[in-house]
Amino acid sequence: MKGLTPLFLGIFGTFAFSWMGLTVIPNWQIGHLNPQSDEEGTDIYPMPQSGMVTRGARIYAANGCVYCHSEQVRADYAGADIERKWGDRRSAPRDYIFERPVFLGKMRMGQDLANIGARAPKEEESPAPAGGGASPAPQGAAVSSPSPSAASSPATAPAASPGSVVSKPPATAASPASSSSPAPKGPAVAGPSTGIASPSPGAPPAAAASPGAPPVAGPPWPEQTAGLPPLYSAAWHHVHLYSPRSINLDSNMPSYRFLYRTRRINDAPSSDALQLTGSDAPPEGWEIVPTYDAKCLVAYMMALNQSHPLKDVRSAGGTAAASSAASPSPASGGKPAK
Amino acid sequence: MNPAGIPLKEPSVSVAAGDTEQFERALIDASTRVPVLIFYTSAVAWLILGTLLAGFVSFKLHTPDLLSDVSFLTWGRVRPAHMNVMVYGWASMAGMGTAIWLMARLCRTVLRYPLLLVAGAGFWNLGVLLGVGGILLGDSTGYQWLEFPSYAAIILFAAYTLVASWAVLMFRFRRGEQIYITQWYLLGAFLWFPWLYAAGQLMLFVVPVQGVLQAAVGWWYANNLLFLWFGAIGLGTAYYMIPKVIGRPVYSYHLATIGFWSYALFSSWTGMQRLVDGPFPAWMVTASIAATILTLIPVATVGLNHHMTMQGYFPLMRYSPTLRFTVFGAMSYTVFSLLGVLISLRSVARYVNFTQASVAYSHLGLYAFFTMVIFGSMYYIVPRLIGREWRYASLIKLHFWASAYGIGLMTLMLLAGGFMQGASMETPSLAFSESVESVLPYLRGRSLAGILLTASHFIFAYHFGLMLLGLGRKSTVPTFLNPVEAEGAEAH
Repeated sequence: MKGLTPLFLGIFGTFAFSWMGLTVIPNWQIGHLNPQSDEEGTDIYPMPQSGMVTRGARIYAANGCVYCHSEQVRADYAGADIERKWGDRRSAPRDYIFERPVFLGKMRMGQDLANIGARAPKEEESPAPAGGGASPAPQGAAVSSPSPSAASSPATAPAASPGSVVSKPPATAASPASSSSPAPKGPAVAGPSTGIASPSPGAPPAAAASPGAPPVAGPPWPEQTAGLPPLYSAAWHHVHLYSPRSINLDSNMPSYRFLYRTRRINDAPSSDALQLTGSDAPPEGWEIVPTYDAKCLVAYMMALNQSHPLKDVRSAGGTAAASSAASPSPASGGKPAK
Repeated sequence: MNPAGIPLKEPSVSVAAGDTEQFERALIDASTRVPVLIFYTSAVAWLILGTLLAGFVSFKLHTPDLLSDVSFLTWGRVRPAHMNVMVYGWASMAGMGTAIWLMARLCRTVLRYPLLLVAGAGFWNLGVLLGVGGILLGDSTGYQWLEFPSYAAIILFAAYTLVASWAVLMFRFRRGEQIYITQWYLLGAFLWFPWLYAAGQLMLFVVPVQGVLQAAVGWWYANNLLFLWFGAIGLGTAYYMIPKVIGRPVYSYHLATIGFWSYALFSSWTGMQRLVDGPFPAWMVTASIAATILTLIPVATVGLNHHMTMQGYFPLMRYSPTLRFTVFGAMSYTVFSLLGVLISLRSVARYVNFTQASVAYSHLGLYAFFTMVIFGSMYYIVPRLIGREWRYASLIKLHFWASAYGIGLMTLMLLAGGFMQGASMETPSLAFSESVESVLPYLRGRSLAGILLTASHFIFAYHFGLMLLGLGRKSTVPTFLNPVEAEGAEAH
């Protein structure tokens, strides 16, 4: 090749083409999305997140959670994500407009977390999605405990920060039986007293047998273990982060004990203290409490919730016939259609 | 030329300049000595560190409780530390070392402004050190291959500017009108990288794009880094080393032109196929899948060109370490690209998306192709810088086989494991944990492969260290892997 000019031009030209095509043009197309709302301008989704959640995202980045957990639900024709109840509709660009950084993820050595907050038991829900009457229904479908009524139940109380809501497992147990009665978690919540740390195997049958069981007789998940906080509740996340194998013996998630402190109990046990059993439990007179970082991380996870219908995305509920995960309330299917 | 057809090494500077061209080359080599050796030595040090981190990461993945209570040793921090050490510490520094030497040789001028390079290497090392430290202390940004916190990124970029301005200056002083194929690739790499890096940093951290576009920019960056930075340096190096070692011109200049421009055009458009089925407009993914399939054009032309150049000379791989490593790397480039096409197809991606198969793909590109080519070039260049020959043929052979078997086994394990994992994941009647269980045996196999690679890198580092200490053989004949038959060179 003779002469530098064509070489330089070519080198710049090809790259400029790629840069324009794959970053600049998409930015024109989907780089300036706004939250959606209904005609009255209410029911806004998504909403910007609180300070704890934002900090939680940084903890999530710092500790490399993204290398094992994705945060995206593929459409029902493209993968089994919806069948796995990781969400009841596919993820869309609008779901992420306030996320920074975005953790779409490229690996699933662990579950998808796009809706991990939506899968939490209702009474512990973080305040974020409180906006819509529509949201509970699809969530009901996603979580195994199908009690929409629980959504409005008391413990929603002064849920100022998710971190603080988390804390009281006893409160959970005490809180209206509404939460525990229909769900497979009946035994689980009663657990702390019985104190069995038996790992999952025992649980699924119990779940299947339970009266209020999910609409579909089901697949072996979600697994629940006796003696632990309700599945995917904030308290559960803390125990899981502290000691993953106390919840699932086969888990290969590392424990994040460095996000927790062991300290002596002063007057009364802290409301934050982890409910640990067996060999993980601290010695008598000591307790294990989450650091602020751990609380933020859990707050972040509890805020991961794409259950709100999007106008531009078909919900699984809308495709009723096809989906085994058909939502218990047809209303959720109706809503996005409009 | 000895009977095996391998051109002997040029005599060192002291030899009376009977042949001016040889004398000139020796002068040029001598002028590159300090900067290139600084780049190489840093690279080898990072390679060893990165290898240790890799082993740690690999074992922790199936033994999660291993040292997990220490925040800076948690898996999610050591993994990006390993990747960044390998990408920016080892691969980039070794690649730049080779590129600098090639530039000086091909511009046929002694290396000017060596201080630019020495300072560049110093700042680059500082940037990587700060970046890796930042990641381990919890400052990672969370974007694949861009995890370095901004304070490290800016130093890295400054260091890069020094190196690139040197490259452009060298181009001004070049002699001769002809610009050889290798120079196209190197010039491309030197000019693409800063744009790529700056665009990535700006669009993610300075004026971040909205939502999912961050992920798109992230993958656009990572893929282009793989192709336009490492790929371009690797291919450029192969275009130099193969003809040089066998002493025969490149088969077709015309094919090389097609290969280069189609490479620049198509490979830069790949990347979005990694986001398949994600929350993106379908055209982005489809465009990248199409571009990935079109990369078969450069793969075919480059592969054909190398193959025809080597035609009849393949037996030389028995003797020349450089040739053996380079040809292995060039062949891996073909395999890497074919695998890239395969796993980008939607029907396949459905199963391998979110699995270890994509790790296999990156390792094929960065190790089996790029690293092996760079090892080859180092076996060629280092003796010319130091004036000694590699001391032990046996160590080179060990290095080659441990690397080749190691990366082969690792790729197979990750691919097979990835497909198993994906198949279980796409079977919703199986619990999710089954998909993780199904890949664990393969991850243990991968750790085994990692041990092989670790051994190979320690052997190489030891051998390289001997060379640095001036303990190589004094000889006018390069170290051949096997004794050259007949009344050949080995007698000396």
